[in-house]
Amino acid sequence: MLASFDTDLFWTALSSGPYWRGALTALELTIVAMASSIALGFFVALAALSPRRRFRTFAWLYNWIFRATPTLLQLYFVWYALPQISNVFAGHWFTPFMAAWLALSLNEAAYMSEIIRAGLLSVDPGQELAGRALGMTRRQILRKVIVPQAVRIVIPPTGNEFITLLKLTSLAFVISLHELLTAAQELSSATFQYTEPLTAALVYYLVIVSILMLIQARLERRFTWTSHRRRQTPAPAVPAVSHDAR
Amino acid sequence: MADVVLRSENLHKRYDELEVLRGVTFEVDRGQVKVIIGPSGSGKSTLLRCLALLEPPDAGNVYIDSQRLTGLREKELTQHRSEVGMVFQRFNLFQNMTALDNVMCGLREVRRLPKREARDRAIEFLARVGLADKAMQYPHELSGGQQQRVAIARALVMRPKAMLFDEPTSALDVELVREVLDVMESLAREGMTMVVVTHEIRFAHDVASTVLMMDEGRIVEEAPPDEFFSAPKEERTRRFLALVE
Repeated sequence: MLASFDTDLFWTALSSGPYWRGALTALELTIVAMASSIALGFFVALAALSPRRRFRTFAWLYNWIFRATPTLLQLYFVWYALPQISNVFAGHWFTPFMAAWLALSLNEAAYMSEIIRAGLLSVDPGQELAGRALGMTRRQILRKVIVPQAVRIVIPPTGNEFITLLKLTSLAFVISLHELLTAAQELSSATFQYTEPLTAALVYYLVIVSILMLIQARLERRFTWTSHRRRQTPAPAVPAVSHDAR
Repeated sequence: MADVVLRSENLHKRYDELEVLRGVTFEVDRGQVKVIIGPSGSGKSTLLRCLALLEPPDAGNVYIDSQRLTGLREKELTQHRSEVGMVFQRFNLFQNMTALDNVMCGLREVRRLPKREARDRAIEFLARVGLADKAMQYPHELSGGQQQRVAIARALVMRPKAMLFDEPTSALDVELVREVLDVMESLAREGMTMVVVTHEIRFAHDVASTVLMMDEGRIVEEAPPDEFFSAPKEERTRRFLALVE
């Protein structure tokens, strides 16, 4: 069955410039989009937990809009519609990479805000009470006590999101971002072979995700509060969330 | 004139339908130890939380060193909270910090002390509760009694004008109660002003300057321990003591 598998073509694809650069672009996009969506998601989470109704409504609307519409549509919207809506997005700076970054950040922030909200809620209210009794401000309590404890809860699902986001970057193919899928597509149309170019792309994704999983395992250990670090702690079970529909 | 450290005046507090405090007037003089007893739901904990400025009363006032602290903004309240130390039933140590960091936290964040000074003072106070050797342990690695002693050190290190204890031994295994009560007794001997909500009648008898009985959001009776336990005036107190002794 594998008789038709052209090993040379596979190796050529694997080591070709477009693949390397495509993988790098995908990884870069994932990292910057994840960073900005964590930052944005944190504030949306705070808004969702705010005693003020206005903020809660904002958070609800935000999550509703970005989770109820397809990511692909959001990507199209940002790339094609935004420049027509505002001149700001018509400039040269607004490259496919920037558009993908913006769209994926906005989208991912909705999911991250829910994860972060759950993390913040998982911290025992007694922790905040003790901080207040000491005379700490809410901001200090959040920074020194609540966020560090929430991080531990937030890491496993965030690992999931990271992987999902990496795969979502392949959607940016439709706004002509040169990522991995573009490389595979171009090689396929040049050689009329599909198996080898696509398999090479698969291998790249597998390798990147494996590295991410290693980093996640390290982070989880880092945020386990034990005086002797070598103690192995079982990772909390992560419910497998399917984002296929995005 | 007596030197009043902490005073509440006609405190009222309700949660929806439930009236938890119905006019509590109460004061502690410097160096006094007041023990509050009473059934659960009588408003003891709420009274402590109002005194610690953690809960705004619906009506009435709280004074620390005769300064009125009700009606202040959150920001000003925050500054005054460190004047009163609070110890909780479930310790509430910061889970992400070692014992040492727990005790240092208030000094660093609230008092803004430099790291070295905060560290030295924190170690001194950990030693005072007999836990200098546990400085680098995290809360979940300590026994309940040890955790509560760290919590006492954490409150004490801020040099509060008064210490409030909300059932500090109720969550402890029987054999760990003593070590916490010992620390509290030595505090009382050193002249710390204390308000203690507890079911430890022995402690109340030996350490308290006065014992108060609370029921249904009111102070029912207040007397020196000898009088309170041997000849309670109120029928409600007698019934309660019969149950706990």
